Amino acid sequence: MIFERTQIDGGAWFNRVTNERYKTNRISVSFITEFDDIKRPDYTIVPYILTECCEKYPERKHLAKRCAELYGAAIWNNLGFEGYRRCSSMSVCAPDDRYALDDEKPLRGICELLTDCIARPLTEDGAFDKEITRRMRRDMIDVIQSTINDKRQYAAIRAARTVFRGEPLSGLLHGTVEDAERVTPKSAWAAYKRLFERGHVEIFAAGSSDFREVREAISEMLSGIKRGDFVKPEICPSPLKAAPEYVTENVPMEQAILRMYFKAPDMDDRFANMIMGMILGGMSVSRFFTNIREKQSLCYYCSGDTDRFTRTFTVYAGVEPENIERTRDAVMNEMLKIQKDGVTDEELDAAKLELLNYTAAAGDDSSSILAFYQSQMSDGEFISPKEYAERVRAVTKERVLAAAEKYSLDTVYVLSGKDGGQE
Amino acid sequence: MIEKIRCAIPGEECLKYVHKSGVTVYMEPMEGISTAAAQYTAKFGAVDSKALLSDGSVLDIPDGTAHYLEHKLFESEDSDTFTRFAGNGAYCNAGTSYDCTSYYFNCTDNFTDNLEILLDFVKHPYFTPQSVEKERGIITQEISMYRDNPSWRALMGCLKGMYSVNPVRNDIAGDEDSIAKITDELLYKVYGAYYTPKNMYLTVAGNFDPDDVIKTCDKYLADTGITPAKSIREKEPETVRERLVKISMSVSRPVFSIGFKLPDKEGRESSEDGIYLALISYLLFGDVSDFSERLRENGLINDSFGAQQLCGRGYSALLAGGISDEPRRVLEEMQNEIRRFKSEPPSEKDFMRIKKATYGSWIYGLSAADSVAQMFTRAALSGLPPFGIMEMSAGADYGNMLRRLSSIDENNACLSVVDPL
Repeated sequence: MIFERTQIDGGAWFNRVTNERYKTNRISVSFITEFDDIKRPDYTIVPYILTECCEKYPERKHLAKRCAELYGAAIWNNLGFEGYRRCSSMSVCAPDDRYALDDEKPLRGICELLTDCIARPLTEDGAFDKEITRRMRRDMIDVIQSTINDKRQYAAIRAARTVFRGEPLSGLLHGTVEDAERVTPKSAWAAYKRLFERGHVEIFAAGSSDFREVREAISEMLSGIKRGDFVKPEICPSPLKAAPEYVTENVPMEQAILRMYFKAPDMDDRFANMIMGMILGGMSVSRFFTNIREKQSLCYYCSGDTDRFTRTFTVYAGVEPENIERTRDAVMNEMLKIQKDGVTDEELDAAKLELLNYTAAAGDDSSSILAFYQSQMSDGEFISPKEYAERVRAVTKERVLAAAEKYSLDTVYVLSGKDGGQE
Repeated sequence: MIEKIRCAIPGEECLKYVHKSGVTVYMEPMEGISTAAAQYTAKFGAVDSKALLSDGSVLDIPDGTAHYLEHKLFESEDSDTFTRFAGNGAYCNAGTSYDCTSYYFNCTDNFTDNLEILLDFVKHPYFTPQSVEKERGIITQEISMYRDNPSWRALMGCLKGMYSVNPVRNDIAGDEDSIAKITDELLYKVYGAYYTPKNMYLTVAGNFDPDDVIKTCDKYLADTGITPAKSIREKEPETVRERLVKISMSVSRPVFSIGFKLPDKEGRESSEDGIYLALISYLLFGDVSDFSERLRENGLINDSFGAQQLCGRGYSALLAGGISDEPRRVLEEMQNEIRRFKSEPPSEKDFMRIKKATYGSWIYGLSAADSVAQMFTRAALSGLPPFGIMEMSAGADYGNMLRRLSSIDENNACLSVVDPL
């Protein structure tokens, strides 16, 4: 397996992973831009528009038909936070050329599809096409409004308002319905231009090819644009509150959702932190699973994740409303115990083995390896699965204890339904 | 005897082996892959609600029993299964569907040890009144969690509306009343009836040595001489039970599920039905369709809309679902589209395009060890060779698709809606 990272211009990099064994090829283009609070929906709508249609395929069905011809190729977008930055990605994938049953070359096909969609969108009067903008704006508003349908996601969004108050992460990436309603073809076009002109661009390609043609096509696409004053990835730990905040909200639902946030703004040991999070709530035999679900039967699920960008450890549990306090106390108890006594050799070994298992599997297919490298975009370095495994192996019990000691409770959020879930 | 089975896709080859115990084993060592994935599956799922036992007696099985049994099988007298797998760095889990219950693991190391744990824990049930009682609370909370999911509720409402007697109309996990009837004694009875080697399938893919699988099977599996119970199924009426099912929940806009009920099939025929229905739903209602473009344009549906098939033992349906302010109009538009396509069928060119995409989707599936093991399990449960479903899909023809399309009764449909409170 070969990983190669080369620079295209002052703010754009091309990363490829080549393994002749891979059965599919994948390409992803990510734009990292500054976070402009007012223009949230203008930036968010851009990837929606770009993966919906383009000049060559002016309706979604045309694009979908072309994807079908390329042996079930897919084109999609991803939006997310990278620390305090916004990351907008557009991706394509298709089976490798060796599986084609006719003269079609799926790799060349998806490369053209991606560049057609990104560089040659459907336009009208020097901005995005009005009808497409209208439709995508409506879809975006649907997404914002329907967050209440998924109660776990809704609880996370509502909790973020308190946990990350004053930070970009406190609100939906999409903005509010009112903001979204103000998006016009011109305002979205301005955001699109800004993505290209100032965006930090990371291209990832993974598959059996050396992706030379892909690199050339994307380099050519970028060379036609006046780019400069590039945005740099920026990671900012979320500040810890002076005292924990407790928030409870009610919507009609059967099960309550408890979310607890611990923060460690001065966390400086990524791998020990990750292992601590796994032992507490991130692996199949975590303390939360064993002690809170299995021994105390307090909930169906109780898990926890560390976030290395915000330096936050988030606990989430689905509980019966009458068990909220007991579950909260049980989680606190587990946190205090790990801060006082650390972890056992068996726990450390189990967490390492699970991580090593994941790391070894990262190279198995193009999707996993692309995700492995892409997740390192804002780390300031790219490490291989082998290097990653070495860093996991080097973690000691002492380092896990030191990582645990850095955490303090920041916010407790409860979403609960007083009146049951339905009529 | 080990049989080598080649796939039409270059480089894919599977080993089929019926162990002397009666367990059917499908294996595909995959070169260059670090992960090994194994699935051990009992052909016992949520649709098995009444069993004719080998002594001639009939056992009534409450809804949710297969799922309950799956939860409890992880427990043993002296050790915890999750801890045993974790000691080897393996990820393990299980899942219950309408048709089967699968226990599985993925690992990159210690494959044989993990396979031993898998075969061992499934072979050794350990239930006590106390442990069964304790699990009831956890499962009740799992049921509550799903009851807060409007898409799930819309789908469940649709299945309940479509089916009169087939247990597919009930939640896989059961409900509070049905799981209250589950005891340790019942779990032992059900286990004895269905978890017999002739009713079990082991599928393995990725980084492993087939000889190790055979040796491990020899060590852990023995012919019990027990014939699996025969599931008794009542005759399902052809027409839907209800045309409209409605509830209200905390949602932004109506969430709906639409089901067109089709004649039920079994085994190979059911798999074939599934393949053609997938092609039809893609052609008529997928991204490539005029239907999707038109309804998205006028705002009747959005990105959340999707159509798919649901085929299994004794049930066959074309399903669609999403969010819309006017679910009734979406149903009417779907009915009109089916009528239109019956009189003006899609072109063979369009069909071939979709077939190409379906072929491509199999290539994606062949990339990872767990999806290969999963594909083999599906084939084995239908009595097909390992690549059988994929090959059926590759061999799908236009004429058969048209025949299937003409057999869909667009009026035999149920609409289930979750309205905002």
